[in-house]
Order: sequence, then structure tokens, then C-alpha cells
Amino acid sequence: MVKTIIAHIKKDFRIEFRNRYAASVSFSFAFTTTLAISLAAGGIPFSPQTHAVILWIIMFFTAMSGLAHIFVREEDRGTSLFLQLNSPPLAVFTAKLLYNVLLFFILQCLILPVYLFFMQLDVQSPLFFLGYVFLGGVSLSSSLTILAAIVSRAGARGALFPVISLPVSLPVLWVVIQGTSRSLGRAGFSNPGDMVFLLAFSGTITAVSYLLFEFVWHD
Amino acid sequence: MKKHEYSLQGASITKLYGNAAVLRDISLSMSSPSSLAITGPNGSGKTTLLEIIAGIQRPTKGTVQLFRGDTGLRRPWFQETGYVSPRLRLYDELTAEELIEFTCASRSTSRDRADEFLSMFNLLAHKRKMLSQYSSGMAQRLKCILAFINEPPLLLLDEPGSNLDREGKDALFRYLESIRSERILIIATNEKEEADFCRERISLG
Repeated sequence: MVKTIIAHIKKDFRIEFRNRYAASVSFSFAFTTTLAISLAAGGIPFSPQTHAVILWIIMFFTAMSGLAHIFVREEDRGTSLFLQLNSPPLAVFTAKLLYNVLLFFILQCLILPVYLFFMQLDVQSPLFFLGYVFLGGVSLSSSLTILAAIVSRAGARGALFPVISLPVSLPVLWVVIQGTSRSLGRAGFSNPGDMVFLLAFSGTITAVSYLLFEFVWHD
Repeated sequence: MKKHEYSLQGASITKLYGNAAVLRDISLSMSSPSSLAITGPNGSGKTTLLEIIAGIQRPTKGTVQLFRGDTGLRRPWFQETGYVSPRLRLYDELTAEELIEFTCASRSTSRDRADEFLSMFNLLAHKRKMLSQYSSGMAQRLKCILAFINEPPLLLLDEPGSNLDREGKDALFRYLESIRSERILIIATNEKEEADFCRERISLG
């Protein structure tokens, strides 16, 4: 099973590296948005809360534009049949989930320095800040992966994905914005309960996804 | 070559799309070695039947079971099934070599015979080309290699000769001839040559 999952991740990164569709669309969006906000602000300082909201709006739409691609690409090109014939559903889902978590982590590693540089952001609690950013990334990736799988089997994919992803992502965004805002503030205070929530959310979504995926994949 | 002792049992296979029945009460019983041609006009359900046997579609009614000896195997049977179909699409951004590597890793099988299969289907010189540069005939040869590479006991071939030139068909039939004494082979086709290759035949529709 592990070899199968590694083979899937390797294949997906190879394909992404060769057409650079998801990564380039997502990073272009994040870069352009950050630059536009920084130019429009013209040096006006934002509050930590505003920074947290802007950062997570960028992160959320970056995830939305890149992460659905992993399943939609298989459906659009008709290659999902090839996957069904070669791998158990569990291996397919695990590989796609890990691929999305890794891809979003790479995107975050590119977006964060750009945001910190252009918005001249001073982080008071770097460890908590990074913890929120990356745990929020894992929560978003895990919820968007199963939603992408569901949406990829439906008709009007483009319209459906934002609609069904909003209610699922909203609790994560709410918690992660509050946490990020606190980690940026002067007090540097952070609530470990937020991090536990993000971990629990990712775990629950992943567990539900494993129960659901076989039906989504075969029906 | 491995000696496989497998049997395939299908009982009352029915597939409805809405109220329209594509397949109604199809039953089949095959043990290795055996070969069956499924013929019938377009839309008669040949591909649907193969997809139900492969586990890609669920029947509306009825069951399909694959046994190794007396042991019923759990679905999906991807490691026991080689499937070739015009509906199967491959990844344009990968080379044949990479796709074989992926298939072997997915099916937990060795890549030792990859070059032998590539040579058999005359693709060895093209193994490092992207599939976007492959013709439809070359892609069909590669689909055959991917289906055969782990030597599965059950081969489900949907119009396997489509897009193949004479040389490709000869390679395909040479391979099928070499393994038909030990496998279960089902071919859905309207080509006389492919249907005649099989010992038994059913007609749908």
C-alpha cells in the first residue's frame, strides 16, 4: 500500500511539474493579490486582525484555485478509469490527500515570504504564527480534497466547488484567522485550543473522507 | 509462467439505466483456461458487461465473483484483472516507461518484464517519449502492455484490435495465443478475427 501511495504522489508531482497548472495558477493569484493590496495600501499600517483576514483570504482562494485540480484533472482527461483499474480507492485517496497537503505546503512556503516582504509584516510570535498557518493549511487541504473528489464526479464542477466548500471551510477560516491575528498582535498570546481544534477538524474530515470515498469513487 | 486456477461466476447480471435495461439476466461461468467472445450490435451492453466484471460498474441486480481455487476474492480485482478498453485514457505528460513504473508499483508487481513487453509490441525505442507524442495505435499497444504486465489471470479486452495495424494485431494475438492455455480471456468485439480467436461466444442484443 505504501509503495502504491508513493507511486501515485510521484506521478502527480511529475504531471504537475510538467504542466505546472495548479502551482502556477495558485501562485500567480497569491502574488498578484499581495502586490495589488500592498500597492493600494500605500504604506498604511493594518491591524493584526486585518492582516490575518487578508492573509487567509489569499490562502483560501489559492487553495480553491489549486487543490480541486487533483481530482478534476483525472475526470476531465478521462484518466480516472485508469486509476480505478490500478489502485484500491484507499490508496488513491491517501495519495491525493498527501499530494494536496504537500502542494499547499509548498505554495504556503512561497506565499508567506512574499506577503511578509510586501506587507512589511512584523510577526510577534513566529512559532505560533507558523503553527496556525501550517495547521490551517492541513485543515483546508484535507477538507478541499474530499470536496474535490465529490465535485469531480458532478456536472457543473466550476460552480459547485466554491458553493459546497464554503460551509466546510468556514469553521477553519474562523479559527485560523483568530489565531493568526493573536500571534501577530503585540501580546503574542495564543490559545492552544485553536490548534487542537484544527488538528481535530483535520482528523475528523479525513476519517469521514475515508468512509465516503469508495462510494464517491465507484458510483 | 505462473499457473493460475481461477474461475469467474456471474449470476443474473442486470443493468438498468433509468427504466432501460442494457443487460438483463446474463449468467456466465468460466474457469481457467477459457476464452469467450462477446459480440452484439453497438449499444447492446458489451462494454457495460466487461465493466461490471472488472468492478468499474455495479450491476443493478445479480452478482459477479472471481475465485482463486475455492476462495472468493474481494473486489476490486485490479491485481487479478487486465483491462483494455477504448474508454481508457492515459496520461499525456508521462512517458511509457514512467507509466509502466507507476502501474507496476500500483499493482505491486515487478518491472523485470517491462522491456520484453515493450519489445514484443515494438515500443522499446519509444519508451522515453511523452504519450502526447504517441499515435492512437501506439497508445493502444501501450494499453495492452499495461494490462498484461502483471500477468493477471483474468483478461477483459474491449475491442483490443482497435487502432492497431497488422503488425500490432499480430503481436497481440501472438501474446494471447501464448497465454490462453492458462487464463480466463473475455473479448468484447465485432471483429471476426477477434471473435474467432475465442473458443466460446455469446451474442448480446
